[in-house]
Amino acid sequence: MNAVIETKDLVAGYGERVVLEKINFHINQGEVVAVVGRSGSGKSTLLKHLIGLNPPLGGEVWIEGKNLAQTIGPERQELLRTFGVLYQSGALFGSMTVFENVRLPLHELTDLPDRAKDMVTNSKLRLVGLSDAANVLPAELSGGMQKRAALARAMALDPRILFLDEPSVGLDPITAAGLDETILQLSCSFGITFVIITHDMESIFTIASRVLMVDEEARTIIAEGKPADLRDHSKDARVRALFHRQARPQKQPRSTENGHQ
Amino acid sequence: MKDKVKDEAREAGATEKVEAKIQTDAGRVKVALKGRLDAQTTGRCWRQLEGQLQKGDFKSLEVDASNVTVSGAVGAALLRCLSEGGLSHGLKAELRGLKKETATILDTFSADDYRTTGPEPRRHAAVPAEVGVWMRGLLSDLHEQISFIGSVAKALPPALVHPKRMRWGEVRRVMETAGANALPVVALVSALVGVVTVIEAARPLEKFGAQIFLADMIGFSSIRDTGPIVTAILLAGRSGSAFAAELGTMKVTQELDALTTMGLDPLRFLVVQRVMAALLLTPVLCLYAMLIGILGGMVVMRSLGFPPLMIYNQLLTRVDMTDVRVGLTKAAIFGMVIGCVACLRGLQTGLGPSAVGASATRSVVACIVLIILSNTLISTLDYFWP
Repeated sequence: MNAVIETKDLVAGYGERVVLEKINFHINQGEVVAVVGRSGSGKSTLLKHLIGLNPPLGGEVWIEGKNLAQTIGPERQELLRTFGVLYQSGALFGSMTVFENVRLPLHELTDLPDRAKDMVTNSKLRLVGLSDAANVLPAELSGGMQKRAALARAMALDPRILFLDEPSVGLDPITAAGLDETILQLSCSFGITFVIITHDMESIFTIASRVLMVDEEARTIIAEGKPADLRDHSKDARVRALFHRQARPQKQPRSTENGHQ
Repeated sequence: MKDKVKDEAREAGATEKVEAKIQTDAGRVKVALKGRLDAQTTGRCWRQLEGQLQKGDFKSLEVDASNVTVSGAVGAALLRCLSEGGLSHGLKAELRGLKKETATILDTFSADDYRTTGPEPRRHAAVPAEVGVWMRGLLSDLHEQISFIGSVAKALPPALVHPKRMRWGEVRRVMETAGANALPVVALVSALVGVVTVIEAARPLEKFGAQIFLADMIGFSSIRDTGPIVTAILLAGRSGSAFAAELGTMKVTQELDALTTMGLDPLRFLVVQRVMAALLLTPVLCLYAMLIGILGGMVVMRSLGFPPLMIYNQLLTRVDMTDVRVGLTKAAIFGMVIGCVACLRGLQTGLGPSAVGASATRSVVACIVLIILSNTLISTLDYFWP
């Protein structure tokens, strides 16, 4: 299977401040990968590097076989169009209705006829269950509905990869479960690859095929594997603390503290 | 620019083109699609098919989709549109050879999406109804402004009677930003208004040999009108908009809700301080604007050859303390209006990121209109009932 996302010795951070280093992983087509870690461990920083918002301080990020930092001009625009991003706050445009928000990428970046744009917008809104809220401004929507509208916008151009930054934050369990179902449906029907930054353990066990765990002190990926394997068999105290909601990692022999699982 | 972006995107996506071969035979049309239908390639194919299929009167339409893949809803929209007859005057296409994954994606795209294209059009009411709604809104807004000014006027005396309950630090901060920091701009505008007033009037009065009365004019206009109005308009633009934006942001970020749930009245906690500051600083700022305006006029008169003492004496024979009192009263009223209206607009802030900007704009417009209205009213009353 070909890797659609790959990092090679990636160093992530801001300016001269290194947040994560020696980041090496690959994600295959159709995988749903959750990136977990404690608050401030660098999950969102990693995401910013993966989507090209921040240039790597070192190393490389490869998306669909192209080095993101070295791809420029129209080729970069084409590459950026292969993925969609759901931001933590939704980042919907407040002066536009939900319909206009979802239609915007189709209107600006394709030469589709107006009828086709409307049809695709309708299908995306139906997919996230917001057909009845098409003419509503984002400010009039609940937090969960805003997230779903933002997901519809992120999917507007049929991306092959979706990056989701804490999609279930602030959502009630029922809405969060609905969002999980939508993600699973998209993954099964369209073969979309998902990279999800999350703290929601229920969601991880429902949708993630693989988990990457980053750690603030180690400043790198400390664990990688299937969610159930990490929960049940990990010998790393930090991994167990996260998966079992322990306030403080219980000490383990030094030999098992570092390195990938 | 937009077209350029689209062209670049088309070029970049040119590696996976989609081809549509159309064959017609005795009213039967066969379309063979080949390639990948995605957001970049579908548009061109759609237009080509629409152009060809709407030309003639066909009996049947068959689409060979065995060599086509779809990326998602965009490609599926084209196939669904063909199968629903959307590109061929209602003649429904028979889709043949659909790949399993293409069929799966097509299933997620319902016929409802095809039928309901676009949001419902916004309904426009009849003109009389629109006028009625507008008038009702205007009257309701006026009522709200008057009752708010009343509420603030009611809340001010207790704050003065119990000065410890007043947040004087906040009053001082507002007076500093809205007053002391505004001194340079007030001086500049007042001086220039004084200069222009004298320059414009100098030539007509010269014809009557009455240029000495320029001193009367600059005195009257600066003290009774331009001083208070220039001060108030600058205050409305600089500080009124800031009041509205501050309170508006607090409303959007639910800080006002937090105050209310703590049992603190936003009017007493936030509004009274700003109104008090505006009320105290406007007359002082106005006095400063009057003096600078007169000085600006005097500079021009001096350049016309009038000695300073003559200008001064002429000014004193015409302008007295009553005029200064009228000017300062106007300034105090303007200050009250600016403080109240700007805070009200801030508290009325709606939802969404554009609401704060809209509140600041509404505040400036309302303040300027009310300043001009109240100035006219006070001048008229003073003329008929001095």
